[in-house]
Amino acid sequence: MSEPILEVKNLKKYFNTSGGVLHAVDDVSFTLEKGKILGVVGESGCGKSTTGRAILRLHEPTSGEVIFEGRDITKISNAEMRKLRSDMQIIFQDPFASLNPRKTVSELIGEPLRLHKIYKSKAERQEKVLELMEVVGLAERLMSSYPHELDGGRRQRIGIARALALKPKFIVCDEPVSALDVSIQAQILNLLKKLQREMGLTYMFITHDLSVVNYFSDDIMVMYLGKVVEYASSEELFRAPTHPYTKALLSAIPVPRLGAKKERILLKGEITSPIDPKPGCRFAPRCAYAKDICFSQSPELQDIGNGHKVACHFCKEFAGQ
Amino acid sequence: MEDKKYTVDIKNLSVRYETSDGIVEAVNGVDLKIERGKTLGLVGETGAGKTTTALSILRLIPNPPGKITGGVIELQGKNVFDYSEEEMESIRGDQVSMIFQDPMTSLNPVMTVGDQIAEEIQLHNKKMDKKQALEKAKEMLEMVGIPGNRAGEYPHQFSGGMKQRVVIAMALVCNPDLLIADEPTTALDVTIQAQVLDLMQKLKEQYNTSMLMITHDLGIVAEVCDEVSIMYAGRVVEHGTLEDIFEHTSHPYTEGLFNSLPDIEHREEELKPIPGLMPDPTNLPEGCPFHPRCSYCTELCKTRRPVETRLSDTHTVACLAYEEGTGVSLGGKLHE
Repeated sequence: MSEPILEVKNLKKYFNTSGGVLHAVDDVSFTLEKGKILGVVGESGCGKSTTGRAILRLHEPTSGEVIFEGRDITKISNAEMRKLRSDMQIIFQDPFASLNPRKTVSELIGEPLRLHKIYKSKAERQEKVLELMEVVGLAERLMSSYPHELDGGRRQRIGIARALALKPKFIVCDEPVSALDVSIQAQILNLLKKLQREMGLTYMFITHDLSVVNYFSDDIMVMYLGKVVEYASSEELFRAPTHPYTKALLSAIPVPRLGAKKERILLKGEITSPIDPKPGCRFAPRCAYAKDICFSQSPELQDIGNGHKVACHFCKEFAGQ
Repeated sequence: MEDKKYTVDIKNLSVRYETSDGIVEAVNGVDLKIERGKTLGLVGETGAGKTTTALSILRLIPNPPGKITGGVIELQGKNVFDYSEEEMESIRGDQVSMIFQDPMTSLNPVMTVGDQIAEEIQLHNKKMDKKQALEKAKEMLEMVGIPGNRAGEYPHQFSGGMKQRVVIAMALVCNPDLLIADEPTTALDVTIQAQVLDLMQKLKEQYNTSMLMITHDLGIVAEVCDEVSIMYAGRVVEHGTLEDIFEHTSHPYTEGLFNSLPDIEHREEELKPIPGLMPDPTNLPEGCPFHPRCSYCTELCKTRRPVETRLSDTHTVACLAYEEGTGVSLGGKLHE
């Protein structure tokens, strides 16, 4: 086991809303080893993006620890955090909304270099920008283009170049391909994977698309309403999904192959409100196997062997199935 | 009159948008037909002309800048371009209805969902009074799995999946011959998508409605469609039954689409994306529109436009490799 680059302990992020306290991230813990890719999956509102942002302190965590390379970054000053940001970066979902429309491609990519004063002269910075553009596959002639002149795939390449500019060690990829067409999506996924391999990066890869996460990740964490419901290696998770929610999620993916019709588990109802959640398992109202205990006691995440963790009162019974 | 058995029969449709940046050739000679009770999947990427084709059926292309420059669209054997605007209005929502991608923007935010459905019922059925229409609206809501007593609520009180159910209820209330579904589940989560697809499937069978399913997701196609047309740059490049397309993939673009998808069952395989980007629709390439991105491209492909080649009774493809004497080869990798 190589050293962990990131350890998240009991991370919580609550938002105060007019309707009550919204538990966006509720007691999430995990460890991420250097050079690995952790896939975080779940549906809208499960807290996956908030988890990513709380780790980078883009949302200040309500409580919990985020230990990055041995240091709890929730306790350090803003000035120190600013320095640390060169090691921890994020790629956003929407390449249409995350780029300043009034800056050119080279200004956008050069911005992090300028802010962190990496190079003394403009010429050196420009050279680095060109190098980054080449790495992410943007043609040099696009240097003085504006984002609106480019398609989604190219815009996302700018986002990636910006994240790479400061030679980070850890990148949160927040749905980086969800807004792109399939043929472009594959180009960007291949690029991200190649960069990860060549630069030894560690990714936290947030997505709602399970086929993407399976292709991409070493480990997968499934979230539901702010809680981790299952955590396992990609192989294990797809081979032996155990939590009833994970099973339903996997069975719901349409597979692009004939005769792939499988037993589909249709969930009843919809995601319940994360505002002032009741005690008990968050998934219980939609779970076909829910018993009395599920509505009164919140299940702990427990190891069922080989690092496969499940938060379900009946996980031992489901494990064999 | 053999043609009569098709709910919709599109022949050689061409649509262009005349914009200040130039002429966008959105649809260039598309043929589509759907038999009664069947579902046709229309697959392609952003800008392939899928939605423009669908809107043409309803004559909803904004004009200007849009202009239908050629072709015939027959609904139950009658050309829609022969109808007056008033006749068209009575067809929309009654004979043909459409479900849009985004349920959040296709409902009126200041009208209760019950009133919205009732309004449509009354529009197409003048004999019904308001009370009867509301009763019918409630029945429709129940049918799509929403308690009838929520008819008095406004769209914002519903979740995304439920809003899409309301839209489906609205689309089916007049029992249309043809239902056009434009990416109906793209905005929804996967477990909700499964619920909605399941519901659409059931209702379609119950009413024996024909459906045009526009999607970019080949997984959805495999699940709900009977036939598939693959569109690229305003043309149908391959058409066939599910088996033709999935088992005997013939066009290089179709192959590229399949290779771009992460295979959930074999995670180790590397993705083979289609290089390059969709062509600029104001400046489509000469010859085969796919040639700049095609790995089998030859000199001939750059100048000669492929025509539709019939591979079997059900399967057609537009690629020079299937035309006699062109010398273009796909290296035996695809179905030849």
